[in-house]
Amino acid sequence: MSKTILSVDDSASMRQMVKLTLGGAGYEVIEASDGSDALAKAGGGGVHMVLTDLNMPNMDGLSLIRELRKLPAYKGVPIIFLTTESDGGKKSEAKAAGATAWIVKPFQQQQLLDVVRKVLG
Amino acid sequence: MPPASGNRSFEALTFALSGEIFAVDAYMVREILDIIPVTEVPGAQDFVPGLINVRGRVVPLADLRVKFGMEVAAISPDTRIVVVEMELFGEATIVGLLADKVYEVAELTEAAIEDPPAIGMKWRPDFIKGVGKHGNDFIFIPAIEHIFAAG
Amino acid sequence: MAAATDPHQIFLEEAAELLIQLEAALLSLEAAPDDRELIATAFRALHTIKGSGAMFGFDAVAEFTHQLESAFDRVRNGQLAPSAELIGIALAAKDHIRDLIGGPDAADPAAGADLLCRVSQLVGAPAAPSQAAPVAAEGRREAMVTWRIRFGLAADSLERGINPLPLLDELRSFGPCTVLALTDAVPPLAELDPVACYLRWDVMLTTDHPRGDIEGVFIFVADECELQLEAVGDAGGRLGDILVRRGDAHPETVETIAAGRERLGTLLVREGVVGEPQLRSALAEQKHVREAAGSQAAAIGSVRVPAERLDNLMDQVGELVIAQARLKQLVAACDDGHIKAVAEEIERLSNGLRDTTMGIRTVPIGSLFDRFRRLVRDLSHDLGKNVRLTMSGEETELDKTVIERLNDPLVHIVRNSLDHGIEDPDARELAGKPRQGCLQLSAAHSGAQVLVKVRDDGRGLDRDRLRAKAEEMGLLVPGAPITDAELLQTIFHPGLSTAAQVTSVSGRGVGMDVVKRAVDGLRGSIEVASVPGEGTEIALTLPLTLAIIDGLLVRVGNGRYVIPLSAVEECVELSTADDLRHTGRNFLSIRGDLVPFIRLRQTFRSPLPADPYQKVVIVAAAERRVGLVVDQVIGDHQTVIKSLSRLHADVANFSGATILGDGTVALILDVGHLVAEGQAAEPPRQAS
Repeated sequence: MSKTILSVDDSASMRQMVKLTLGGAGYEVIEASDGSDALAKAGGGGVHMVLTDLNMPNMDGLSLIRELRKLPAYKGVPIIFLTTESDGGKKSEAKAAGATAWIVKPFQQQQLLDVVRKVLG
Repeated sequence: MPPASGNRSFEALTFALSGEIFAVDAYMVREILDIIPVTEVPGAQDFVPGLINVRGRVVPLADLRVKFGMEVAAISPDTRIVVVEMELFGEATIVGLLADKVYEVAELTEAAIEDPPAIGMKWRPDFIKGVGKHGNDFIFIPAIEHIFAAG
Repeated sequence: MAAATDPHQIFLEEAAELLIQLEAALLSLEAAPDDRELIATAFRALHTIKGSGAMFGFDAVAEFTHQLESAFDRVRNGQLAPSAELIGIALAAKDHIRDLIGGPDAADPAAGADLLCRVSQLVGAPAAPSQAAPVAAEGRREAMVTWRIRFGLAADSLERGINPLPLLDELRSFGPCTVLALTDAVPPLAELDPVACYLRWDVMLTTDHPRGDIEGVFIFVADECELQLEAVGDAGGRLGDILVRRGDAHPETVETIAAGRERLGTLLVREGVVGEPQLRSALAEQKHVREAAGSQAAAIGSVRVPAERLDNLMDQVGELVIAQARLKQLVAACDDGHIKAVAEEIERLSNGLRDTTMGIRTVPIGSLFDRFRRLVRDLSHDLGKNVRLTMSGEETELDKTVIERLNDPLVHIVRNSLDHGIEDPDARELAGKPRQGCLQLSAAHSGAQVLVKVRDDGRGLDRDRLRAKAEEMGLLVPGAPITDAELLQTIFHPGLSTAAQVTSVSGRGVGMDVVKRAVDGLRGSIEVASVPGEGTEIALTLPLTLAIIDGLLVRVGNGRYVIPLSAVEECVELSTADDLRHTGRNFLSIRGDLVPFIRLRQTFRSPLPADPYQKVVIVAAAERRVGLVVDQVIGDHQTVIKSLSRLHADVANFSGATILGDGTVALILDVGHLVAEGQAAEPPRQAS
């Protein structure tokens, strides 16, 4: 059974890029445009990994991570966040909120795939 | 269209202006009307003296005879208006051409059309695109777009 | 939605959209620098452009945007004030980003470097103290949906600091909202615990926010609240159905009871099937859904139609109006009452169809006015002036063609006002005026016309300079008397500009004559009013539509002509005395005013002798009047305007042609031109 990845980003082009990369590697990708959208779409669980942007409208990535960590379905699910160097200070905050790892933008498709494979095992 | 030296033929509408036979490419011709009421446009050039109603469109009526310096004969039972469509100043324009008489749609061979002779022409050479023969008659092909664009 | 799947292509579309959002946010931010949402929107737009730009190979875009993003990050965190200067730079930078996205060659690297330099100077400046606030902004929008939200809080939730009011307020902010408190759980007073929460709420919300947004409202109370969220759709319907759908009543019970004749609600409550609160709530839902459906019908009842089809429709309606006029003419000579009745009916219908069609083609002028926000902002900045733009009457509708063709003249007028009219702040202060100048765009309907005004509170037109210029150009004999209105009209003369200094904005002597020609082309008129030291007002009077006008049909010789009725003031008979005064000037006394007149028979070189009783149609344009002598006034004529071909472009007396009831063509007089001719007939006129 293929694994499901929740991709959260307010940029449609980023989501598409993630979807092409991971979808092409055989993963199921659920897309959400911001934190609350992500919770609405995948709050119930069934997700094996979360890939989220930090800066988003409605509910940003940090809040999303905190919310997800409250949900029993997300106990033990890796949460990876995408960040730019300018978000530097956010990394520790995100980790404290419960994030597993991060990828710095911009990145190559292969880098993304590597990280995902490593985390998902 | 410049007179080409091929054997291709094209259909042309032939009509009379002051006793000479002229022809326009049939693809330009929208319709041929009997004489209808013409509204004079005060102050317009003699060449485009009026306006006519062609199926709800206001169309300028032109008299090529003025451009060729011909005598303008009075309207007769044979007089017709040849409605043509052409590209003028970058837009599709419909113009009515007064004709003393309309003959027929003739098949002209491009090979039979020659450039107008440089000398011996009664009219401005740039107003004639080519001269052909149909039976024993000369047929003049006017450079319609050029004549109108010249104003 | 867009079918593009290539992230690169999606990025281009996304970036274009983000840049629009960015510009709108920046422009609004100028007026409301404390608006956190605007700041967040601007920041996020920059952030996404940078992040995604870097992902998809737009390195130059990412690099350039980065610094700007950092600046706005500081603004967001209260470390930097969103000053006018910063916003100015950001707007210019937005244009630069757009160019960069267009391609490496489309942007000027020097300009980009300059912008970055200015940004870093600003960022380096001391930070303005300001409190950072959490940021919320608009989410993705979807179609309007009506939601039924029922929520209740645990009895002890108030004690734990949970306040339901902000939740309700947030829901209200999403759209039309009906909130009803369900009080059935409130115990008798003796048993009431004052700090417990007994209430539940039914909320009917019609919104384009997605479900996630609504759930997001309750996210922090999710653990302790009872929440039902359901899309009602636009079903609405009968009360019984609503109660059944909500699970407040059983279908059979409702059916049984509804079989009686009394009002269902009353019955249901009396029978104890549903409680009073449930009933009120269901009634509220019924009402809410009905209202929402009504307002949505207004909102979504619009269809996009290619402009070309509208033009075709207008053409065909035009033909119909002509055919109807023809029918009317034929019927006038007919005695059959039945046919007359049908003809009248057709007239009524075709007039209605004409008005409706014209209505379809109209758009609010606000779409045009909006373009001036940026223009005024950039221009006043370039000129070192401080100008506030105000607008009114944006909802005024007029024909889309008129609006399109109004853009250029308005740009000229606004540029002139900013350049020559409004003084720089110091000069204004010296003159005892506020440092900030004011430019006002307004629009209003006035009969079958629209009045568009551009007004500034600048220095006003300099009469002395106008006069000097007019004399210099030979328009005016030195020292000759001229009315103030006439003097002001000279600004529309080609080549006349009063700018002492030629600037890049205006002042090259082109402009106002171009404006005049464009407005004439729209069959409109233009007027100037100006008070020295107080400002200038340019008023454009424009027809609602270009396609159909009411005309007055007249006969001159054997030709029939149409005079636009909007220009006609009155018709009088030409007295023999006036007619015979062939020598000297042709003037007519209209209630004490001398009005020049033009004999159209002469103008049109009619060979026929004049009718014995000629009429004079007094027409007005640009506040001036001229009499047009005609042989006969035939009557009103609804006129579908057809433009003349380029072959008649040299004929100045006519603005177009129309087709009369009998199928013949009639020319439409260009009143503006004739009035100018009539007025100019007397003083020596410039050879053109």
